[in-house]
Amino acid sequence: MADQDVALMAHLLRRAGFGASRDEIEAKATQGYDATVQALLHPDDQPGVEDDLIMRYQPSYHEAAAIENNVQSWLYRMINSPRQLQEKVALFWHMIFCAGHSKIDSGQEMGIMIQMFRDHGMGSFRDLLLQLSLSPGMMYYLDNSESHKANLNENYGRELLELFSLGVGMDEAFNYSEDDVKVCARAFTGWNVAPAYPPFPYGRSPWEFRFDPADHDDSEKTFLGETGNWDGSDIIDIVCKQPATARFLARHMYNYFVADEPQIPAWRLTPPRDEAAIKMLEKTYFDSGYNIGAMLEVLFTSDFFKSEDVRYAKVKSPAEVVAGTLRLVGDHREIMPGLFEISQEPKYMGMDLMNPPTVEGWHTGREWIDSGTLVERINFASDYLGNTEMPGIKDIVNRLAAMGGSLTPADFVDGCLDLVGPLLVGNDTREELTAHAQKSGELSHGSDAERAEFTRRTGEMLQMIAATAEFQFG
Amino acid sequence: MSTHFFGLSDRTYSYSHSVGRSEFSGTGFRNPVDFALGADDVVYVLNRSYENRPDGIHVTVCTLTEDYISEFGSYGEADGQFMWPTSIVMDKDEKLYIADEWLNRISVFSKDGEFLSKWGTSGSGDGELDRPAGLAISSDQTMFVVDSRNSRVQKFTLDGKFLGKFGSFGSGPGELNMPWGIGLGPDGSVFVADWRNDRIQQFTADGQWQATFGQSGDGVGQFNRPNGVCVDQDGDVYVADWMNNRVQILSPEGRFINEMSGNHVLSQWGRDKLASNPDMVRQRAIAMAQDPDFDKKFSHPCAIKTDGQGRIMVLDHTRNRIQLYTKDKEPVLA
Repeated sequence: MADQDVALMAHLLRRAGFGASRDEIEAKATQGYDATVQALLHPDDQPGVEDDLIMRYQPSYHEAAAIENNVQSWLYRMINSPRQLQEKVALFWHMIFCAGHSKIDSGQEMGIMIQMFRDHGMGSFRDLLLQLSLSPGMMYYLDNSESHKANLNENYGRELLELFSLGVGMDEAFNYSEDDVKVCARAFTGWNVAPAYPPFPYGRSPWEFRFDPADHDDSEKTFLGETGNWDGSDIIDIVCKQPATARFLARHMYNYFVADEPQIPAWRLTPPRDEAAIKMLEKTYFDSGYNIGAMLEVLFTSDFFKSEDVRYAKVKSPAEVVAGTLRLVGDHREIMPGLFEISQEPKYMGMDLMNPPTVEGWHTGREWIDSGTLVERINFASDYLGNTEMPGIKDIVNRLAAMGGSLTPADFVDGCLDLVGPLLVGNDTREELTAHAQKSGELSHGSDAERAEFTRRTGEMLQMIAATAEFQFG
Repeated sequence: MSTHFFGLSDRTYSYSHSVGRSEFSGTGFRNPVDFALGADDVVYVLNRSYENRPDGIHVTVCTLTEDYISEFGSYGEADGQFMWPTSIVMDKDEKLYIADEWLNRISVFSKDGEFLSKWGTSGSGDGELDRPAGLAISSDQTMFVVDSRNSRVQKFTLDGKFLGKFGSFGSGPGELNMPWGIGLGPDGSVFVADWRNDRIQQFTADGQWQATFGQSGDGVGQFNRPNGVCVDQDGDVYVADWMNNRVQILSPEGRFINEMSGNHVLSQWGRDKLASNPDMVRQRAIAMAQDPDFDKKFSHPCAIKTDGQGRIMVLDHTRNRIQLYTKDKEPVLA
């Protein structure tokens, strides 16, 4: 199998999923790049995780009030779902349509919202925005349940425009006015949440959306230049046909799936890193009738995505660090105790899943890294990559051994870098790793003692690779 | 004017009361998976809880009238601890046996919660276990262990000596796919909740296949991952139809008789909890005005037992309670 096929497939599986073992990368490469993209884009054609088994062995994940159980359940899916892009897209929307447990105070509602992202995240953007606006969790999180015809709360109306669709501005202009915010909020009055059972004594009932026509402002409104008796769904229709929405989505997709962009507040004044790519995605948005899956298909099959220039051009998010490491080493590939501790790791690395810091979400790219989070990232990955009892690490040892009866330090380093990625590193990094390997000379694995030392040195080298700057990129 | 039962048996059932509420310790349960009945209406409820709330993993000892007695066991792998407890059963000497499907062992306790012994080893050979699920003890004190990932039922002495086995993986008669609960009939027949085949299978005590009841679905006599099964003195079969959120009752021949979907009314422990939370009393009242049935219904009934008094007890897993019914001896005005 050609090295470039493996490298490209590994790139696709890192971006459209949470990485993969070498066996899986090679299997997908054999199936072909385009076929793999199609499979990723059509999750319903793939088997899902076995929900009945999850519920049997982890019954507390079901209708779980505890946020920790919902985070565990999601992390399990990131690690194990054959529908990798569906989980990656759910994370994408969670990072844009931010709502958090700190206010919602119901793990179950957060889990329901993430499921909504799974169910609608690759369909029509109009449908997704409508589902978001029908989400009782979001209606509560952004105070729409406190927005009334006679006493307006602008929070949801503002964030729908600023953070969920149009964005503040593009090409140096502003995309909407303060009047548009007020009108938007008026259109969503009456979009509310039905009463729900409290947590005690037998558990909450799921929250349900409820429209209250008596509390809805159905008077005439002018929004983005259009006048009518708009309600929330009309606002979404108008929002979806704006060029700014296409730009907003295109830049988000590029930033998440292709290469790190400047942070969102800079988008009004800072042009995209790759204007042609953004234009291509914007065109697909309109040509497809606002279809997210169509935009993703164009993105993953484009030259700009396949380009070697964008490989390892993104700092991995904490969720990618954790799920990707477990997929590489082959741990928690079935339901088992111990996932709670691991599910806390993204939080330690700066990403408290289901509880973003604000409605603006997390700052991405190099802002994932500070002195504290870097130590967490390195410690987590190096602990796992250095554990030669892990099935994925055993496979790496076996593959290295299959390279020959004796390996030079340089070949050994190249082999390790290849099998954890293939990971692209700079010359300085490669020289440092090779210099370390040279201290113990060539590697053989003929005798039991040699094999044990070969295995030990592999674990040690993988730990060192996990500590490189390059390993922080995906 | 004639009365029409349309060929159905004229069995009726009346809701009695509920036991329990959501708690990690003390007067309530957390993700309960099974329970055992002792003398004087003492009930031993096996709480699975979850690893980030290990304080919830134990056995709650109380009565069917909600007198709290004690709790025992904790999370871990040491003697007397549990990781993934699945089933609890009591023998005639009032010893309790608790299966743990992560540790692949059966732990034995006195009725007062004192750890006595353990047995079971991991594997697929005779007498070895891979995710033991349901437990049942016959009148001759034989222990039946549903050995779920080995797709079989194994028989042991009460101290763990292997006696025999039956069942193998598959979907044909007598074959099993990740079975879970088990119940014994008055004639010694063995009923197994064939979980992933969505059916109940009946065997003789020595493992000869006798009958298969049900298929996948949510219609009459169909099941969605049934996990609990028991048989009353009349031979009627009660099935916890887990993912259909109901209990189905079958005649001894396997014909559908009736179903229960839950009739819960606040238990005393539930009232006590609300009494100290007036805001939740208000929220509950508003919610009940909108949806009076939510709180009544079963949510993933997980185990079911009958006793010699015509009582049927349903462990209402997600709601952390037991709903009790009686089998009516006389017609009851609904």
